[in-house]
Amino acid sequence: MSASAVFILDVKGKVFCEYFKELEEESIRDNFVIVYELLDELMDFGFPQTTDSKILQEYITQQSNKLETGKSRVPPTVTNAVSWRSEGIKYKKNEVFIDVIESVNLLVNANGSVLLSEIVGTIKLKVFLSGMPELRLGLNDRVLFELTGLSGSKNKSVELEDVKFHQCVRLSRFDNDRTISFIPPDGDFELMSYRLSTQVKPLIWIESVIEKFSHSRVEIMVKAKGQFKKQSVANGVEISVPVPSDADSPRFKTSVGSAKYVPERNVVIWSIKSFPGGKEYLMRAHFGLPSVEKEEVEGRPPIGVKFEIPYFTVSGIQVRYMKIIEKSGYQALPWVRYITQSGDYQLRTS
Amino acid sequence: MPYLGSEDVVKELKKALCNPHIQADRLRYRNVIQRVIRYMTQGLDMSGVFMEMVKASATVDIVQKKLVYLYMCTYAPLKPDLALLAINTLCKDCSDPNPMVRGLALRSMCSLRMPGVQEYIQQPILNGLRDKASYVRRVAVLGCAKMHNLHGDSEVDGALVNELYSLLRDQDPIVVVNCLRSLEEILKQEGGVVINKPIAHHLLNRMSKLDQWGQAEVLNFLLRYQPRSEEELFDILNLLDSFLKSSSPGVVMGATKLFLILAKMFPHVQTDVLVRVKGPLLAACSSESRELCFVALCHVRQILHSLPGHFSSHYKKFFCSYSEPHYIKLQKVEVLCELVNDENVQQVLEELRGYCTDVSADFAQAAIFAIGGIARTYTDQCVQILTELLGLRQEHITTVVVQTFRDLVWLCPQCTEAVCQALPGCEENIQDSEGKQALIWLLGVHGERIPNAPYVLEDFVENVKSETFPAVKMELLTALLRLFLSRPAECQDMLGRLLYYCIERPVNSWASDFNTLVPVYGKAHWATISKCQGAERCDPELPKTSSFAASGPLIPEENKERVQELPDSGALMLVPNRQLTADYFEKTWLSLKVAHQQVLPWRGEFHPDTLQMALQVVNIQTIAMSRAGSRPWKAYLSAQDDTGCLFLTELLLEPGNSEMQISVKQNEARTETLNSFISVLETVIGTIEEIKS
Repeated sequence: MSASAVFILDVKGKVFCEYFKELEEESIRDNFVIVYELLDELMDFGFPQTTDSKILQEYITQQSNKLETGKSRVPPTVTNAVSWRSEGIKYKKNEVFIDVIESVNLLVNANGSVLLSEIVGTIKLKVFLSGMPELRLGLNDRVLFELTGLSGSKNKSVELEDVKFHQCVRLSRFDNDRTISFIPPDGDFELMSYRLSTQVKPLIWIESVIEKFSHSRVEIMVKAKGQFKKQSVANGVEISVPVPSDADSPRFKTSVGSAKYVPERNVVIWSIKSFPGGKEYLMRAHFGLPSVEKEEVEGRPPIGVKFEIPYFTVSGIQVRYMKIIEKSGYQALPWVRYITQSGDYQLRTS
Repeated sequence: MPYLGSEDVVKELKKALCNPHIQADRLRYRNVIQRVIRYMTQGLDMSGVFMEMVKASATVDIVQKKLVYLYMCTYAPLKPDLALLAINTLCKDCSDPNPMVRGLALRSMCSLRMPGVQEYIQQPILNGLRDKASYVRRVAVLGCAKMHNLHGDSEVDGALVNELYSLLRDQDPIVVVNCLRSLEEILKQEGGVVINKPIAHHLLNRMSKLDQWGQAEVLNFLLRYQPRSEEELFDILNLLDSFLKSSSPGVVMGATKLFLILAKMFPHVQTDVLVRVKGPLLAACSSESRELCFVALCHVRQILHSLPGHFSSHYKKFFCSYSEPHYIKLQKVEVLCELVNDENVQQVLEELRGYCTDVSADFAQAAIFAIGGIARTYTDQCVQILTELLGLRQEHITTVVVQTFRDLVWLCPQCTEAVCQALPGCEENIQDSEGKQALIWLLGVHGERIPNAPYVLEDFVENVKSETFPAVKMELLTALLRLFLSRPAECQDMLGRLLYYCIERPVNSWASDFNTLVPVYGKAHWATISKCQGAERCDPELPKTSSFAASGPLIPEENKERVQELPDSGALMLVPNRQLTADYFEKTWLSLKVAHQQVLPWRGEFHPDTLQMALQVVNIQTIAMSRAGSRPWKAYLSAQDDTGCLFLTELLLEPGNSEMQISVKQNEARTETLNSFISVLETVIGTIEEIKS
């Protein structure tokens, strides 16, 4: 029960976020009518009722004054058997966008040994389909390949761990023959998530030397190396290196990109717009330290890295097919996009 | 809260609400209503515009309706007479063609919380239960529980309960779950909703249609069902198998619990479930939601208690990341400490060692204690790490390390030698009481192996005058005595000095407490006990009747302790068993003036006997008392202290008043004892009040 109780708080936060983009005191104050309406529908007598923001959005709208009052009816989904999709949806162009997003969590010790490396993958769908379509998604799932005898062939396959699906996926079919079949909700949703704890080479490897000469200066040398395929490029790379809070007069030298001192976070951020695989870059930073040292001890924050590598998945997961069947028989196009990004990516400093 | 100028605001809003131009413009009308609500949430009393707001509810704009209903629900308990007028509008809305309006009106009506509303809501609820829109049925089902709540002690309505049981077969999943919730609330007195075989099977078949909250809750209700046969049991488990893989952690945990309890005869099934739930739990442990993460870690620890080593191969998942909040780090350290095995001990210790020098002293100390815990199995490695930590000469580290050593020598005597070698020099970096005690204890018990032990203790003896912690002095006396037995020559002199100091300075009551029962009972408690014993010995001629018997099991343990501590407060010492005759009491009462009068909050019914017993425990006698439940209720009490001063008291409960009025008279005017007496009385009455609620 405790897990449920905590989870509902989290869900409430998420619902509010979907309504107001960001959840702040300000946005709650400005939208108190909607907040009240939402709370009224989310919980009754302390029990969670309708918590799916998709359905809530059908009858609690941001511009509620635009609502044609008098005609307002209960949206069919509130009473529907397939609670996540309403009937009678229509699109001129039927399309599905599939985003395969993998985030890499990494924790590296100060002596360079990898403590933790895991991949958290999600498959997100953006569905613009009319009617009640039946979708089937095929992945290069190792268990499936073994079931169908494809494992011997040269097809690359991935073993997914801890797979979780949106409630629309028929779990019994997945258990039987690993088919992912479902009637999707309309619009954006997360179809599934998975996790891989197989050790992979850290995509961006950082070596750092931070030398602190008390009362005079700090010298920082950071070497970043792209350990992924040469054809791929990491975009928006941001490496944040911790500096003492009393450091002053920064000076930088970078082989590529630009470095910036952010005193309020006590870090230097080295940003590189595009970072091709196999390359190695260097940054040097120099800070002055006051001659009178402050008393309180400081922690040793880790170096953090942010990046995004498009058209690439670390795990090698691939969408093999997406079948869309609707009784009206229209043709629909699936679009697939792969992205690998940094999750909790930390390298401890000594 | 009465704000300045609130009347003007109410007047202005009232005018605006009545203005036909505003009423005609829907947006402006709604804006005025929003302003009313805004002031209401800020604490201004907006009940003055109740009538106007009721009128505003007659609208087709559903948002405006919601706002007005919110307003009504807030002020209905304050203005029940006005709220009755609103009921008509609500009743009308309950038969609106729009199900959203029906549901909304019914929900608001059930939330009015004013006396007498039950008779109005009963029929709409019954209609709602048979409504064709599931949205209304959901509201109506929970409305049953709300109605029952309003009634308070009312009888359970059998027909309604049957209706709810039959609604368990409703086709809307939320109605089904709401039925369970509602029945559980209504039948709370009788142990909640009954899950028999047909209901259990029905619920099991509907499980996949429910939302995650419903699933989690139904799983909890299913715990009450005991399958008849092994076959049925395994059928159930097979049906529920997929919920172990649910994307909602609440459902996974619920399913796990059900599996563990249902399969208690099949240990291999239990182990299997725990193995399967490992993945989801680990995922929850690194969830983005910190709170969820914390809950998951607690569950991991729970599993580790029954299956030690279950998560051992995943130890790296429990390494702390820099940005995590404290409470998660502390849980993780605990988990690490519990899952250590031969393969990972090296890495885990390495990681924990890193935490020991963390900036946060609390976290560092937790890590050191964790190493101490691991040391029970992997002694040598851990003692070495701990010894190295002493080299840092940090106060907060040293003290915890020494405490860890003390606990360790107890459990693993083989490490004594290593600990003894590490100790010299520690005394310079310990300031707090716990650390000093640990060090002194170690020096005392293992002093024969630590060459400079007597000299360290000598320093403590030298400074004993400035020592602020009595516990440290006590430890010092014990330790020195111990060491004297093994190394008499070096200790004799200072032991003499210490003993001299202890005996010569009776001001330091700690020495007089030494080897008595004070350390066991606590000072205040022991004082009472010994006084009571004294009183018993002094007054052998008095019949030992109810007074001491009353301290028996009638009053719960913790309360008794509080009550017994009372005589110790202040200089007041009430004499037991000074029973006055009613005549004498009356005469004295009439002849004296009231010395003190006050009122205490007092709600509801109670048993006068309980009060009488409680008063007797603190030696206050009851002379006379009204029967339970009579109004006004009165009681006359008397007490006498050791100087012979009499305290006469009247307790008075007026009908309809939630206060107890206390008047005290005294035959000698002494404010100090009077105040102590009143505080005794207050505490007793406060305690009774607590027991009652």
